Amino acid sequence: MSEPAGIDVTGVRKAYEQGRIQALAGMNLHVASGEYVALVGPSGCGKSTLLHLIAALDRPDEGTIHVAGHDLALERDLSHYRARHVGIVFQLHNLLPTLTALENVQVPMFETGVRAAERERRARRLLELVGMEGRDGNRPAELSGGERQRVAIARALANEPEVILADEPTGSLDSTSGLHVMELLESVCRGRHATLVVVTHAPDLARRADRIVHMLDGRDVPAPEARAVAPGMAAGTPT
Amino acid sequence: MSFLAFIFRNLVRQRVRTVLTVVGITVGIVTVVALGSVTAGFRQSAGSMLKLGGADFIVAQKGSADLSFSTLSRRDRAAVEGRADVERAMGVLFDLSRVGANPYFVLFGVEPAQLAVAPPTLEQGRVLADGSTTEALLGSRAAADLDARVGSTVSIHGRSFTVVGIYHDGNVFLDSGAFAPLATVQAIAGKPGLVTALFVKVADGADPRAVAVAIEEAEAGLTTVSSVDEYGKVDQGLEVMDAANLAISVLAVVIGAIGVMNTMIMSVFERTREIGILRSVGWRGSRIMRMIFGESLLLCAIASLLGVAGGVLVTRALLLVPAIASFLEPQYSVALFLRALAVGAIVGLGGAAYPAIRAVRLSPMEALRHE
Repeated sequence: MSEPAGIDVTGVRKAYEQGRIQALAGMNLHVASGEYVALVGPSGCGKSTLLHLIAALDRPDEGTIHVAGHDLALERDLSHYRARHVGIVFQLHNLLPTLTALENVQVPMFETGVRAAERERRARRLLELVGMEGRDGNRPAELSGGERQRVAIARALANEPEVILADEPTGSLDSTSGLHVMELLESVCRGRHATLVVVTHAPDLARRADRIVHMLDGRDVPAPEARAVAPGMAAGTPT
Repeated sequence: MSFLAFIFRNLVRQRVRTVLTVVGITVGIVTVVALGSVTAGFRQSAGSMLKLGGADFIVAQKGSADLSFSTLSRRDRAAVEGRADVERAMGVLFDLSRVGANPYFVLFGVEPAQLAVAPPTLEQGRVLADGSTTEALLGSRAAADLDARVGSTVSIHGRSFTVVGIYHDGNVFLDSGAFAPLATVQAIAGKPGLVTALFVKVADGADPRAVAVAIEEAEAGLTTVSSVDEYGKVDQGLEVMDAANLAISVLAVVIGAIGVMNTMIMSVFERTREIGILRSVGWRGSRIMRMIFGESLLLCAIASLLGVAGGVLVTRALLLVPAIASFLEPQYSVALFLRALAVGAIVGLGGAAYPAIRAVRLSPMEALRHE
């Protein structure tokens, strides 16, 4: 590895329900800093679990995860890590319903000591970046699915993290809106040289990534092996 | 958007529930303020009563459940009056009856000559004439209630009196009652030769505290009261009110805290997924706790302010009833209002503790999975 790693996942295992459900079974993943990687695989193969572990929303049973130079097993303040170093975009936007778009984007900045005036200024700038200028006073219920995801992307960028994790960000959108959201996500991450990991089921969207990582039964697998199980998805290897 | 605005936004999302919770706590705080101000009024009146006639302390029958039940004999009076360290001991007999709108009209029987030494402040007329049997000195509240003035005839406990003067002391019991010759009051009350208490002024140079102790040591059946804090020696009424006040405060805290806890638990439960979102974007457990405690305290702060205002309004409204105004003079103090706010704060902190701990114990993933 000549380039410093954005994300390094080694031998990670994670089980639920007292070991009955093995979500990850020795997963390895290396993502270079600034790289855009699509995680693909059949439902239940552990893609979202992996993303949640990288986001430090959960802890692995075994294995190590390094993100932007942080060993998550040794990280004392995971909240600080989540606030500073990673931004997450969920399938269902997960915006707070009582807050406006502008206020939703400000929420992550409460924990990083950004003053109120600066929070608002930065949130406005981010909403402009995602093409939501003029909608900053609207609550999530007043926005379309695509617009909500744009706000969610702006929120993920609030603290200028090195890593953006997106868990099926287009899963609840029509194809046109989904494409626009992915183009936006890709362009803002590339513009900031942020590492981007996207979980997706859509071959067209996966093809946009620098690299596709195939997963099966909780592990990373070579493309041919994945092709045997999920031919549609394997066809999405970047050209 | 400030953190406080964020907290406020969370409260107003369930307006009906928030309003009902505020109303519940407000009722508790109103009770605390109303009862507290009434008790403080009684304490203040009892305290100022001890100074009647410029007295340093009073002497009453030991073990009386109520001061009005105390009876001192001529021998008791002589024993106290005969002491070298006592300048004067004014014997006063209390006789309670309904007069006009006042159900607790106190007729104070005194020797006119003794009252003349240190009379209450006269608004009209003169003090009782020595040797008179049908004269009365009427308090200003009683005069207003009975529409009486100097020269009027008033009926007290079935006996007619001629009003010779009207006084104002500032003490609600005194101002709502009247002074009359001791012998007349003893006859009305059927207590010849007896008085309720002695209002003692010590001799120049004597220490009132030491004299009071000496009297108690010399006279086994007598007790002395120098301050309102010692009132329990001769009257359990104030102690009962203090106990009731404390009980109401504790009840207000417990019931309020349960109400707030119920509200906050429901609120936290409904927002479990949102709490997961906040954790996922980097909010620490401590900030989640501050958010929940903040919501609870804001709720209780609003209720406390409304409760304090409501408590004052309720007691002022009570005074519109003449029968109540004749014996009640609520006292409001900073300490009382601070106690009400403290009750609100305890309710807020107590009610939020469990929901806050519950919210923080949830892992971000558990919270995010919540539907």
